[in-house]
Parts: sequence; structure tokens; C-alpha cells
Amino acid sequence: MDYTIIVVIEILRAISWLVLLAAGLGIIFGMMRVINFAHGEFLMLGGYTVIMSTKAGVNIWFAMLVLAPLCVGLFGVLVERLVIRFLYGRILDSLLATWGLSLLMIGGVTLIFGNTVEGVSTPLGAVDIGAYSIPAYNFVLIFFAALFMVAIWGVMKFTRAGLIARATMQNPAMAEALGIRTTWVYMATFGIGSAVTGLAGGLLAPLTGVVPTMGVNFVGQSFITVITGGASMIAGTLSASTLLGSISQGMTILTGPVYGDAALLLAALVLLRLLPQGITGRIFTRSL
Amino acid sequence: MEKPVAKDPGFYIMVLIGLLIMFGAPIWFDLFAIMQVTQYVVLSVYALSLAYIWGFGGILSFGQSCFFGLGAYTFAVSSINIGETTFPFILSFVLPAAFGAALGYFMFYGRLSDVYLGVVTMVVTLIFWKIINHTAGPEYSIGDARLGGFNGIPSIPILNMPGDPDAWLDPAQMFKFFMFLLIVVYIGLRVLIASDFGRVSVGIRENETRSSLLGYDVRRHKVIIFAIGSGIAGMAGAMWATYQTFIDPNAFSLEMSAKALIWVMAGGVGTLAGPILGVILLQWLSLKLGTLQFLNNFVILGAILMVLVLALPRGLVPSVKHWALTGWEMFRRRERAAPPAKEVTSDV
Amino acid sequence: MSDADDHKVIRTTGLTMRFGGVTAVDHVDFALNEGELRCLLGPNGAGKSTFFKCLTGQLTPTEGVVEFRGQPITGWLTHDIVKLGIGIKTQVPNLFNGLSAYENVRLSARRKHLAPMARQKAEEMLEKCGVTDLAKREVGLLAHGQRQLVELAMVLAGEPSLVLLDEPAAGMTGDERDRLARLVLELSRNASVIVVEHDMAFIRQIAKQVTVFNRGAIFREAPIDEIMRDRAVQEIYLGKQADVAA
Repeated sequence: MDYTIIVVIEILRAISWLVLLAAGLGIIFGMMRVINFAHGEFLMLGGYTVIMSTKAGVNIWFAMLVLAPLCVGLFGVLVERLVIRFLYGRILDSLLATWGLSLLMIGGVTLIFGNTVEGVSTPLGAVDIGAYSIPAYNFVLIFFAALFMVAIWGVMKFTRAGLIARATMQNPAMAEALGIRTTWVYMATFGIGSAVTGLAGGLLAPLTGVVPTMGVNFVGQSFITVITGGASMIAGTLSASTLLGSISQGMTILTGPVYGDAALLLAALVLLRLLPQGITGRIFTRSL
Repeated sequence: MEKPVAKDPGFYIMVLIGLLIMFGAPIWFDLFAIMQVTQYVVLSVYALSLAYIWGFGGILSFGQSCFFGLGAYTFAVSSINIGETTFPFILSFVLPAAFGAALGYFMFYGRLSDVYLGVVTMVVTLIFWKIINHTAGPEYSIGDARLGGFNGIPSIPILNMPGDPDAWLDPAQMFKFFMFLLIVVYIGLRVLIASDFGRVSVGIRENETRSSLLGYDVRRHKVIIFAIGSGIAGMAGAMWATYQTFIDPNAFSLEMSAKALIWVMAGGVGTLAGPILGVILLQWLSLKLGTLQFLNNFVILGAILMVLVLALPRGLVPSVKHWALTGWEMFRRRERAAPPAKEVTSDV
Repeated sequence: MSDADDHKVIRTTGLTMRFGGVTAVDHVDFALNEGELRCLLGPNGAGKSTFFKCLTGQLTPTEGVVEFRGQPITGWLTHDIVKLGIGIKTQVPNLFNGLSAYENVRLSARRKHLAPMARQKAEEMLEKCGVTDLAKREVGLLAHGQRQLVELAMVLAGEPSLVLLDEPAAGMTGDERDRLARLVLELSRNASVIVVEHDMAFIRQIAKQVTVFNRGAIFREAPIDEIMRDRAVQEIYLGKQADVAA
């Protein structure tokens, strides 16, 4: 019984991990059909914000939940204004530019903080479940993954901003004709997506430590999750995370984390061969 | 665009320059300089592999280094095991091409869109890089060759004369051979692009729907283009491995993929001469900038890539050509009243 | 293959195409005889273009069967269908914009002929469509009517035995339209042709038998003179179909 609970929690954690990694990217992709190739570096930036401010004496929860999303969100808005907005409608160019940004950020952070691993200890201790003991932080991850999904769904479904966002997503030209400034919608979307990514990066930082090149370790998982999910933000991210999280966790338990990633990709390739628009391109097409 | 290769002066000029360097350089330059130039030659072959699939097949791969690395490791492992280099060199073309075809099958028969294509090529490369980095232990060996993980594979054999494993090429001979390969790849691609297959590829790049409405199988075409590009990249990897006599997982790195993209972008997508120029210019530039203390390679590459996308999306060669043409037309317009109608220009 | 099919170039049975809740093509039974020239009429949104796309495999029909000379081709890929000998001019000219007119046409001719013959064929088709002087121009920069003619040359260069023309006269000048009418008539001597058009003057120049589409279904099928006199058809075009259907 205890073991079953542990396995369930482990799988939930794996799924939550992917949700956290992919949520911000999924928001941007869902709205703008742009994949931010600097996504890994946005996570890295969130991580650095937490570690550096914690070292400066800031409360770790405040750093994680407020500072990280704030910093990365503002950075995202800046990037949108300076780079992305010139490239709407030129999807390939936006990929190239964000990739350039990714390299620039790795190089820049290396110059500032050096190429060393920094870390803080994981807050909260362990929780005992019967004979087993697991880190309580796992529940934080699961909680925030669930919160992200519910919050995005709630905002999109029930608020005016969400309605504007959905309208722009469906038909930008029409939204523009109704007096919505779509450029602002895109700017806000990119900012919010970045903020969510920053928060995720902050939450992951105590687990992984931070180093300028850390983004590389996450982009694979994030990209695969988002494109496998397809264009719907919530249904896509959730279904892909669930499917791929289970597969990679299973593979990791069997052979170790390196092949977990390979299994993830292989599963995604087969899936994309069958459903080229991702899961939500064929199933759950009407969902958010 | 359509001008038979045989009638294009640019083609002859390029080949002539190539031959001149191939035979002239060993006479004019010392050994050290020759070794340096060899590096540019290898990277030019690598750049051409992407220039072809992107410029003439419309396939933007963010993971060209995947095939470069695959070729390099294929050559390293097989030449260490076999003890001669002719067959491994051929294998380093064939194996990446086959892998490219397999990956291409998933991507193109799945009809993945551009964004998805970019992501998949990048992620595949990442995974190769990760896996090869994790092969440091002695248990990861293929025959006599230890993969060595992040330490890489040392003592890779130098190319030998076919059939005579003891007749190693000296640096000047190696340079000549590589230069010969570059010229062969350039001519081969030019002829391929001008062939009917190449024309259909360009048609597919321009309009996939129309191509299939004319009865051409877009998916099969793209797989073939992608496989050819992968093979050439793999061969460049093998050249790199034998030139350095050493290879490490950085061959698979995103940096290496980014470089290829940058060279092609800088030189101009849709040309072959441009990317070669891009290699020479940007490698030289990053060599100069790399000596500055306050910069590192990532910053330089990233900045160049962003500037190219935002300011020079057409690339250097087409931009210069365009400026020259506009200038020429303005000049002519002053001469004659009627401006000439716009005709499609030839691509070098 | 039944005997009746021997004379049918294309036959659809219960062809249906739904997009979500919208039924764009609704149980269409359509057949075209060998060598026939047929015009499709119908207001915008009647499902004509969708019908064409189902024939060429650009869309896979939700229900129903498409047969080409008795062979079921439902669900085939576009390029395989086209290779059977179907040429299509789409509603919005669908060209290789970055290439010259000659290169466009040659790409089509080359699929059937070896290089020297393909060149000759391409030049011949450009000549036939009256766009030889545009041969070296980039088609992305041509006027709409010129693009239509280039696309027509491209379709003809593939030597199809069934030609589908979706609004070929749109954007054409009077001269260009007359030339087009002559071309279509000439074409129909060697091939079966289906033309979607709104331009009644043009239709009168070429058509004998006409099929009228409305709301995704076949509304009338009759000789042109009858259709011209048909009150109900006129009403459809005037947008009063609700009254007429009753």
C-alpha cells in the first residue's frame, strides 16, 4: 500500500515536472505559434534570480514566488519589444533569433557569474509515508503544477483578459478589427509566458542547482512536451506531460536519466508521425 | 535562377579559385598556414551540407551537428577498429545519410510543420550530445575504440592512401585532398541543383501544394534531400576527426549547429558560394574577437545570429548582389528612359 | 468495374465533406463522361472548391467514394491521384512564386517528358496560352490574369486527361478571357474538363451541360439553355433560395 502511494507520487512528480517546464513555453506557443528557443535560458534566469537573492539574504519563498517571475517576466517583455515583435509572421526567423538570444544569454551569464555550479539546499524536509521517506518539496512541485493549470484555465475562461487572449488566438485580424491591440496582447502573452517560466525555473533551482548552461538539460523535455501536446495550452500540456512523464519516468527507473530523454523523444516522434499536429491537433481540438 | 551550370560564369570562377588554392597554397604558404586553411576547408564542406538542404530544399535544420558528430564518431570508431581509413571514410558518409533518411521519414512523412521540424532536429542533436557525454566508462566501447564520454576519442588515424594503411597523407597532401573534396561537393551540388531533381526541390521549396498537384511526391523528395545533406555533413565530420586526430562530444553540440546556420545565413540562403565565404569571414572574425577577454564564444555567436536575423535576413551575398543590381539599374535608368523588367537572377 | 463506369472519367458516390459542424459537400453523386466539358455553377460557399479538393485528394472526404475511370481513389495521396492524369487549376493561382513562368511550366512538363522534350513542351504551352513574352518574368510579380494563364499553361503541360479549372477567368481582361474560352474548347477535344465559373458570358461561350451546386449539394443538372431559363437557379444567385426551395 505504502509502495503504491510512493509510485503514484513519483509519477505525479514526473508529470508535474514536465508541466512546470513546459507551461510558459506552451502559453507562448499556443498564442503565437512561436517556439521560444531561449526557453532553457529563461528557466536558467529564474534559477539564478532565486539563488542569488537567497544568498543575499532574501527569504527563499519570496525569491521563488515573487522575484523570479517578476524578473524573468520583465525580461520577457523587453525581449518581445526589442526582438520578437519585428519577427511576427516570420516564424523561422523568430526561431533563429531566439536561438541567438539563447546563446547570448549563456555567454552573458557566464561572463557575469562564471561557469560554476551554484545551489541552495532544498527547503522543507522529508515526509514519511509508512516505511518510506520522500522529500516534502515533491508536493510543492505537484501543487504548483496543478495551480498553474487551474490558474491558466480560470483566467482564460472567466476573465476579460482571457477572452481577449482567446479571441486573438482564434483570429488576430478579426480581433484587431474589434479594436483589440493585438501587439499588446502578444507582448503581454510573452511577458506572462516568461514569468511562468521564471517561476518554474525558480522552483527547479533548489533541486538542480544553477549553471549558465543548465538550460540545455531542460529544453529537450520542454520542447517535446509542447509540440507533442499541440496548440492547446492546457489540454495539450496536460495530456503530453501525463503521457511522456509516465514514459520517461518508467525508462528512468529502468535505465537511468539519459535514456529517459531518448525514450521521451522516440515516443514523441512516433506520436508526431501519427498525429502531426500534436495530440490536441486531433483529439481535444476544441479545448483550451 | 535557371541558368545551366555550363553557362554560368560564376560557377567557373568558383571552381577556378578552388583549383588555384588547391595547387597554389602548398607552394606559397608554410605548413602552419596550410593546416589553418585546412580547417576552413573542412568547415566549408560542413556549411555546404546545410546550405543545400536549407537553400535548395527549404528544410531548416537546427541540428546539422548531429550528422557532423555522427560522421566524426563513425570515422573514429571504425578506423580505430579496422586500422585503415578508406572504408571508414565512406562509411562516415553512408551511416549519417542513412540516419538522416530514417529521421527524415518520421519528419516528412509525418508532415511536420516548420516549427516542429526545428524543434525535432534540435532535440535529436541534444540527445546525441547527452548520450555521448555519458559514455566515459570503459564499458562503453565499440570493438577497440573507447567512446570516452566527455574526454573524447584520441589518436584517430590520419587518412591513408587507399589500399595502403601505412601510407599516411602528409599535411599538404591532406590539404589537397580536402580541397579536392570541397570542389567535388561544390560541383556535385551545383549539378544536382541544376538537374531535374534539383528543379523539383526548388519547386517544393517555393510551393509544396503545387508540387504535389503536379504529381511530385513532396515527402520522398525531402527525405532524399535531407539524407544527402546529412551524408555530406557526416563526411565533413570525418574530415574534422582525421584532421584533428581527436574528437569529443562538442562535435554534437548546439554551438556547432548554430555555427552552420550562421555561416549559411551570413553568406545567404539559396547560394553555395555565400556560405563558404561565411565560414572564412566569421571564423576569422571569431578568432579575432575570441582573443578579447570580456567576450566569449557564445556571446559572439549569439550576437551575430541575432544581428543577421534582424538586420540582414537575406544574407551577405544576396544583399550585396541586390545592392549592386539596384545600383546598376539606377545607373542604366539614367542612361535609358525605360527601366528593364525584373528578371530572375542566377544564383551562384 | 461495372459497364457503366467504362465511360465515366470521374464518378463520386455519396461524397460528403464535413468541417466540424459544417457540411461543405453533402452526399454528392456526380459523374462525368469521357470527353465531356462540364460547367459547375453555384454561389460562393456552395462547396465547389471543396468538391474539387476532394477529387484531387487535397481533402480526404468524410464519407463517400471517388472513382477515376472505375478505380476507387478515395483516400489516395494527392500526387498519386494527379499521376493518373488529373490537372487542376486552383481558385487562387497556386504557382512557384520565386521562379520564372517558363520554369513553372517546365516543372510540370518534366514529369512526363525527358529534358529536351520538356523544354519544347513548356515553350509550346506558354505560346498556346499567349504568355511567351512573360517566360522569363518572376511569376510572383505578375498580374492576376497573367498568373491565371501561366497556371493554365502549367496544367496543360502535364497533359492531363481530366482537367479541373477553378474560376479560371477571374481577374482576366476581355481579350484574355476570349483566349481562355478558345483554349478550354480546344482542350476539351482531347480531355474531359470541369470548369467552375461565375462569369455567365464566359460560361455561355463554352458550356453545354451545367451542374448547379447549392449548399454543398447538386441542385440542378441540365443543358445550359435550360439553366439560363431556370427561375430557381436565378433565385439562388440572387440569394432567395429559401423561398424557391419551398
